[in-house]
Amino acid sequence: MRAVDDSLMSSTAPVFAVLLPIAGAMLAPILGRTSRSARNVVLVVACAVTAALAFSFVPATMTGEIREAYLLRVTPQIWLHLRVDALGVLFGATVAGLWVLVLVYSLSHMADSHRLNRFYAFLMLCLGCMMGVAYAGNLLTFLIFYELFSILTYPLIVHDETPAALAAGTKYIVYILIGGSLVLVGVVFTYFVAGDQTLTAGGLLGSETDVGVLRAIFWCFIAGFGVKAAIVPLHGWVPDAHPAAPAPFSAVLSGVMVAAGTFGIARVVFQVFGIEILTHLGVMPYVAAFAAFTVFFAAVLAVSEDGIKRRLAYSTISQMGYVTLGIALLGAGAAVGALVHITNHAFMKGALFLCAGLLSKRAGIRSVSEMAGVARRMPWTMAAFSLASLGMIGTPPLAGFISKWYLGLGILDAGQPFYLAVLLGGSLIAAVYLLPIIYSAYFREPPSSSAERDDTESEAPAGMLVPTIVASLMTLALGLAATVPGSPLSLAQLAVDAFFR
Amino acid sequence: MTGIADIASHPLPVLLVLGPLLAAAAVRPLGRWSPRLRNAYVLGVSGTTLLGAAALLPLVAANHRVGAEIPAMIGRLTFVADPFGMVFALFATFVWFCATLYSFDYLKHHEHRDLYHSTSLVVLASMLGVVLAGDLVTLYLFFEALGLVAFLFVIHARTAEASRASVTYLWMTVLGGFALIGGIFLTQALGGDASLGPLPLSDSPETLRWITFGLLVGGFGVKAGMVPVHVWLPDAHPVAPAPASALLSGVMIKAGAYGIFRTVSALFRPEVVADVSEQLWHMTASFGLTVLWLGIATMAIGVVLALGQHDAKRMLAYHSVSQMGFILVGIGAAGYIGLEGAMGTAGGLFHAANHALFKSALFLGIGAVVYRTGRSDMYELGGLWRKMPWTFAFMLVAAAGITGVPLFNGFVSKCLVHHALEQAYEVQHLASLDIAEKIYLVTCGGTACSFIKLIGLVFFGKPEREYGPEVADPPPRMLVALGILAAAIVVLGVRPGLLLKGLLGPGLIAWALPADGLDYYLDVYFLSPADLMSTVIAFAIGAVAYAIGMRFGLFHLRAPSWFGVHYWYRAFANGFIDWSSWAGRAHRAYLDAVSRSVRNALLGIRSLWHLLERDIDHLAVVVAAGTPGIKGRHFVRTAHAALDREREVTVRYAVTKAHTWLQKRDDFSAQRAHETLEAVRDIAAHMTRRQHGQRTRALAEMVRSGEVEAVRRGFEHALHDIRVFRSEVAHTALELAEQRMCGLDVVDQMSAAVDRLSEEERFDQRLRTARHHLPPTHPGVHDSLGEGVTRATGALGRLRVRWFGRVEAFLRWGIELVRLVIEAATEEHSRWSVPQQIDPDTVLKTRRQIQRYARDTSLGIAAIVVVFLLVMTAIVAGSGR
Repeated sequence: MRAVDDSLMSSTAPVFAVLLPIAGAMLAPILGRTSRSARNVVLVVACAVTAALAFSFVPATMTGEIREAYLLRVTPQIWLHLRVDALGVLFGATVAGLWVLVLVYSLSHMADSHRLNRFYAFLMLCLGCMMGVAYAGNLLTFLIFYELFSILTYPLIVHDETPAALAAGTKYIVYILIGGSLVLVGVVFTYFVAGDQTLTAGGLLGSETDVGVLRAIFWCFIAGFGVKAAIVPLHGWVPDAHPAAPAPFSAVLSGVMVAAGTFGIARVVFQVFGIEILTHLGVMPYVAAFAAFTVFFAAVLAVSEDGIKRRLAYSTISQMGYVTLGIALLGAGAAVGALVHITNHAFMKGALFLCAGLLSKRAGIRSVSEMAGVARRMPWTMAAFSLASLGMIGTPPLAGFISKWYLGLGILDAGQPFYLAVLLGGSLIAAVYLLPIIYSAYFREPPSSSAERDDTESEAPAGMLVPTIVASLMTLALGLAATVPGSPLSLAQLAVDAFFR
Repeated sequence: MTGIADIASHPLPVLLVLGPLLAAAAVRPLGRWSPRLRNAYVLGVSGTTLLGAAALLPLVAANHRVGAEIPAMIGRLTFVADPFGMVFALFATFVWFCATLYSFDYLKHHEHRDLYHSTSLVVLASMLGVVLAGDLVTLYLFFEALGLVAFLFVIHARTAEASRASVTYLWMTVLGGFALIGGIFLTQALGGDASLGPLPLSDSPETLRWITFGLLVGGFGVKAGMVPVHVWLPDAHPVAPAPASALLSGVMIKAGAYGIFRTVSALFRPEVVADVSEQLWHMTASFGLTVLWLGIATMAIGVVLALGQHDAKRMLAYHSVSQMGFILVGIGAAGYIGLEGAMGTAGGLFHAANHALFKSALFLGIGAVVYRTGRSDMYELGGLWRKMPWTFAFMLVAAAGITGVPLFNGFVSKCLVHHALEQAYEVQHLASLDIAEKIYLVTCGGTACSFIKLIGLVFFGKPEREYGPEVADPPPRMLVALGILAAAIVVLGVRPGLLLKGLLGPGLIAWALPADGLDYYLDVYFLSPADLMSTVIAFAIGAVAYAIGMRFGLFHLRAPSWFGVHYWYRAFANGFIDWSSWAGRAHRAYLDAVSRSVRNALLGIRSLWHLLERDIDHLAVVVAAGTPGIKGRHFVRTAHAALDREREVTVRYAVTKAHTWLQKRDDFSAQRAHETLEAVRDIAAHMTRRQHGQRTRALAEMVRSGEVEAVRRGFEHALHDIRVFRSEVAHTALELAEQRMCGLDVVDQMSAAVDRLSEEERFDQRLRTARHHLPPTHPGVHDSLGEGVTRATGALGRLRVRWFGRVEAFLRWGIELVRLVIEAATEEHSRWSVPQQIDPDTVLKTRRQIQRYARDTSLGIAAIVVVFLLVMTAIVAGSGR
């Protein structure tokens, strides 16, 4: 029997965390018709309160308390059930935190865009569903919110309504629907085998189930979530969707939505199957191999890419490979590294995409080859970009180093030191695709045609700059204060301790 | 003492690191406000740091190891000052102070001074962080910071040369950093806990040990300028401003040496326990030997390359490579000897301190020359000893230091390392170490030669161009900085005991190693005839080499570019970039191909679906309307025959027309007339055949769609109407006949003509129009059925589909067959009477009937075969059960 020493506590707070953004989304089009500023204020307040709720779960979770809420009885057997465990708190806080930054950023970045009510409404709907994904207490709840946010993302990707954006959106929706269907198959299968159960450490599936069935369920889940997590043969939508989407949305798309796939994989691995069954099944080495290939392959492609956002998108694929790899190794250390990397990557990549948005908005720069000398015009933007890039590469004391350190130790603990080469090689290639950007921004002479533009300061207004800088400073903070109680690292350790108990 | 000394808690090491780091933030605001104030501030900070490092000395002397920790990153960052670290901290802060003092005047006309000074303070903090780090993670943190921030020194000049050098520097630093963190990870695999203490090596796999060692030494070696990862150093150091070069070459590369020293003497040494057995040192010995040989290679290759340089700063940079070799030899020898390796350790570390002093003095001295003359090519300079006497004096002191003249500091450390090398040879009498010792002496000779050349070319001889009046000793602050360094060189040369007994001896004791070798050196070897002799030998070699080299121009020889590792690194890097862009293109092409094929497949499915839809409609029409009834079929036969006759008549008409036309022409020979007629006949036949096909098809469509009654009524009219086209055909045939006789291909024109005609004719329309003209007698069943589907059929009529057409034909045929059977059963036999006269219609009708009969019979046979097969299958299947 599983030891139940978590104190369960019924609470409505998780419900509010999910419903508040959705309420905001409902209000956005109504308010937006009469007053833009009223709408903006309401949205920011809704988002900030959601973030505050998400952060407020941290202290209680650190003491081992788990809040839960039963939302709705779908059928006599199945409830929509929210349950705030350490893993959920980690992901939820990351999502909400990044969302606040992105929302504030988009208020000034998107100001002159069209159909803002639609944009904000869907942005907030996505937040609500992401919170639902984070706090989902059972697989069905997870599935519902997961599918919802996947589909609600579509209008955000095609927001610009250019042919490229529409094509990318179509590609996205095809990929995601196929992935979603596979997840659905997995969920149905699991329900068939195990019934509706709360997601807890140790797994739902009993070891008495037929190995073939278990393998089938497992690969359904991995292939389904793998589409979202962009594991390499399934990654096709990522490099198209990111450049097409508006910059602030790219930031959350890359920062937390792709991570939702890896979050799903973590849930499946640790809470649907459990360590023991997976060790017995012997499927994880294959997942690890796929992840390792993802890390390298996407990184190499990023090197070859000239468009900034495409390069960053490939970088996301590569970085998510780390997370999948860490989970796939089935070791406590590696899992901590993987989970904390979700958060760290969210802020680093968020900052990078926000910078990319500033570059294209203020200086019209969309490709790496146009970056020469831009740091003189946009010093703060490039400072934020550099900090986040160094974090990505894993330079101490930034956030990326923390995740890589734990991943590295976990790899050694798992007794597979050759994956260390993947870890370091991937980071090295990250240096190859990120450092030249910084180098040319600071040290290359701008082309003579833009010489007269050169003197004009084109640094972004504070509305966009502040969220960008905050995101990149988070990179520093998450690195320096990694071991403070309540930090992502401590939450990840707490979650992983439960899985490996 | 039986273990590593305990750590006494004191915050000073932390303050030493964080102080300059935080102070750097104020440089830029101050610099904008008042440059003078900023200069004072920067000097104050570096001076305070120097004093702070000095203040650590009594603490370290009292407690051996002093440290503190701050909570950050993964748990905590620990800072520990032990005597070895103190050596580095002391010379780093000392040289930093001098270089800072020097930099104010030197940089007067440079841009980015604020950047320079803040960089300088951050790098100082990082340097201290490296040497005062108490664990590997802290060390790595500051090592990376040092490498990445010092990049700003390298690129400071922003020239093309500087950016080239900086790119090399950056990538080598990044690679080194990754090797280092890889090594640190693997120390964990070896059972270490990231502390700077001995790893529990006894039960770990040997391969893993070597990989770990290789990664650590490689990672630190990049910074240390160790061959073969030194390539960045000779590019990067000369392009920086002189004070930065002094810091880069004098101090920062020591971070690498420090790391290698810790790797050999702290990580890969046996556990510090009460009685360390010789056996346990065996492992350390092999690592030590590796470092020793790396050192030998570094010193020899560095000095050879240095001899070939024109640029004084570049030459000094190569000497930095070479001098790092001396330090590595000392460290390696200490590791090889093991317990008794005091002289190696002391020699290596002493040389690190000495090199910091004289190399920074040399760089600052050359910097002063460049500052005044604007030239750095040795062969262009000359005769400066008169114009810059103080600079000359200080440079001479520094050169004496580096070449190992007695009573200057280099002499002591070189002799120590030399003794360690001899001692290493004594351990096992390895012949290779004997060779190493010879290489060592020759390298000392090469160094001597090199500096004879430098001093000779720059300060004596004749300059290539005359100097202007501005060439004189540099401003006092620069001279003072040089003077302090020169004084330190002399002090350490005369009183080596200050460092040897003050720090290095206690350091050895703190790490539980005997230090009596140092006392022995000071008592017996220091300034002994043997040591003096070795210096004389070195200078003799140097002088001879200088004479020969200058005489025969050997210093101008250049090896081909592929001979250097630089070439290969560059080739590898470019290869990787090329390969990745190739991979990117291939991937894009692949994705495009996939999406294209998916799109094509989707389009294909869609068009297939359209066809299917159309044919289902078509089929519905056929099934609903059925094939023509008995009456209809009779009519169709008649109509076909009529149309066929029309065809024949048209051809005949065309021929007649042509004949008439030909008769009017006199210029046609009989032969030609005949040929023309033949051509007209052919063309007309072809055209009418196609016309006929179209007409019968239109007829069949309408009949099939149930309009048989209407068609029957309209047919006579239509047949009458289309006679007008006879002349058209005749006309076209005659026109085309000429061309055809010339041998031209007229098929296209014929087709065009036929298409035009049928466009005009619209036989089906005519049939319909005709129907509307006549009132229906009595509407048939087929009509009412057909009415509903006429529109669909009209559209479908033109589109015939490959395989589906066949199915449809088959179905129609099947239905027709059933009708045929019924008809045969009901038809009166009297109808079969033989006609009295055989008209063309009858012939045609009969021909068609025969065709049908053959087809129907073959179906019958096929049906029988299928039934037979089915029966057989049933039997086989039944018996199987």
